Amino acid sequence: MPPDLPLSRRRFLARSSWALIGVTLAPSLAACTGQGKDSEAAAKAKRLVISSWPLYIDPGTKDDPGSVERFSKQTGIDVTYKEDINDPLAFFSRIQPDLAAGKRLPQDIIVPTYWVAQRLIDLDWVDPLPLSQIPNAANLLPSLDKPSWDPSGRFSLPWQTGITGIAYNIEATGRELRSVDDLFDPAFRGKVGFLTEMRDTIGLLMLADGQDPAKPSFRSAEGAFNRLEQAKADGQIRAFTGNDYQDDLLAGNFAACVAWSGDVAQLSLEQPKLRFVVPESGGIRFADVMVMPKGAPHRDAAAAWMNFVYDPVNAARIAAAVNYISPVRGVAEILARDPATAAMARNPLMFPDAAMERRLTKFGPLSPEEESRFDARFAAITGG
Amino acid sequence: MALFFLLPLAALVRMSLSEQTQRFSLDAMFTGRVANYTEVLVQYGPVLWRSLAFAGVATLLCGLIGYPMAYAISRQGGRWKPLLLGLVVVPFFTSYLVRTIAWTTLLADQGPVLALLSWLGLVSPLERLGLVVEGRILNTAAAVIGGLTYNGLPFMVLPLVVSLEKIDPRLLEAAADLHARGGRTFRRVIWPLSLPGLLAGVLLTFIPAAGDLVNAQYLGGPGNRMIGNSLQNLLLVQNRYPAAAALGVVLMVMLSLLLVLSLGKLDRDSLTGP
Repeated sequence: MPPDLPLSRRRFLARSSWALIGVTLAPSLAACTGQGKDSEAAAKAKRLVISSWPLYIDPGTKDDPGSVERFSKQTGIDVTYKEDINDPLAFFSRIQPDLAAGKRLPQDIIVPTYWVAQRLIDLDWVDPLPLSQIPNAANLLPSLDKPSWDPSGRFSLPWQTGITGIAYNIEATGRELRSVDDLFDPAFRGKVGFLTEMRDTIGLLMLADGQDPAKPSFRSAEGAFNRLEQAKADGQIRAFTGNDYQDDLLAGNFAACVAWSGDVAQLSLEQPKLRFVVPESGGIRFADVMVMPKGAPHRDAAAAWMNFVYDPVNAARIAAAVNYISPVRGVAEILARDPATAAMARNPLMFPDAAMERRLTKFGPLSPEEESRFDARFAAITGG
Repeated sequence: MALFFLLPLAALVRMSLSEQTQRFSLDAMFTGRVANYTEVLVQYGPVLWRSLAFAGVATLLCGLIGYPMAYAISRQGGRWKPLLLGLVVVPFFTSYLVRTIAWTTLLADQGPVLALLSWLGLVSPLERLGLVVEGRILNTAAAVIGGLTYNGLPFMVLPLVVSLEKIDPRLLEAAADLHARGGRTFRRVIWPLSLPGLLAGVLLTFIPAAGDLVNAQYLGGPGNRMIGNSLQNLLLVQNRYPAAAALGVVLMVMLSLLLVLSLGKLDRDSLTGP
């Protein structure tokens, strides 16, 4: 099994996204590959270009090659696996000019966050997946079948999923936390963090407010926004962060914050003082999903890759390396067989049981107009 | 010049007066919509002032710290001069981002800076001055200004060293021959002759600081965001390109006005002397 990664992918993204913004804002020059007439030949070509998040796959070692290398060896397909998605929106604005102009991207598969994928699907900037060539897609967890971001289920397959909940440093809180209300406890004034990801922060607060983030509307989110605004005015909120919340938690700057399950699952292996809880009112289920940008040239190779990673054995290797929730059925059983990974198979943050699943909600689609209002209101509070 | 400066500028101004056709399309229709400006001024006015104030204080601090440093290096540096200059520059071989994030560790609640301050018994006096907020430094305005100062310092020191070095020693000898003491020589000879360097330092510190987003992002709290953060949010999160362009133009015009004013003033001063 691969060793524990020093940085999870979301942790890494906070570090590198700023550095990449400069690159992002410059117009993308790399994308024009030219529309060849021989698209039939290209579809069969033994090449594949993937863009994903850093540290989001098993890297492998010399003796134990990672998934990319094993796939290449098995299929003879030459894979370019780029870890160049660092921030959902920065990545979107990088591919936007080309896709809006009807140009083809160099990637065959990209792995955006679910709501960016939904945006791409709505804009008709992705191709339907060649599902007939991906028999292993049948291994998709039932809870992720035809999700709200892709109601037909034809355009996307989840790569990994996770839970947005509350992380806390028990040494700083002095007690276990159970609910969203705990984030507003005056005892933690100036020691609470929220995520800059609007859907995670507002979704969690909507659940606590008795509203349903699966069917979000500006009105139903009003209570959540007001509560957040008041907490900021009261000095309850120390900072809105991306992945850097992990450093703040470890350093004791945050007593508690809204957090992502995979990160905390990884960190708490070495730091027992860190805890993660899905609040009583429920947590948000998020996903990063594989889609094929419009006109992706190597369709057969892309299908072969998706089929490969939806094989439970291969999926188990990836899950063991990244500690998020695998979307593939049967992974827990495979991890349970190996003593080195058996503990992971029992980890409810990696394998939520049915009771836990019922407490998780996926943040539903927003119309472009609603999304604008949500983003503007959220930016006014976070000081963006 | 036209290609790299005027063309993008014209595109920016055009965008700032346009209306988006769709949220996620980069096409915008030029409609001469001046309301883009009034909207961003109303919405981001306070953030603009905060940015200028933060940048101003940071520049002042850079001057107060940087001038004596530059003076010491150029006048008293002797054979250590290259080493001292190197020490000013060496931290800047690492990335801007990494340097700034390093401060989050130093300023953390259980970090060395606060530990030292509390050992010295300085926490509550500093709290009264507003430099420490509720027992913390990180995620406060003071931390943001501190970060801007730290990151701007070499850009203040280096031009100052150059202009101080250029002062002809014979002028100082002449001043001494005319019985001018140290203080008077400084006021009448060194200070006026170093003003061009100081001006360059002020510009190199103030302009990037006013548009900075990294320090506020990592060292500030939600109430200390700067205009760079707003621009970033408008561009990447809200996709309001015309609004972002308008805000960019506003920032540019404000900075240009400040520049013209200060240039005019300093130019006269350095020509006539005090």
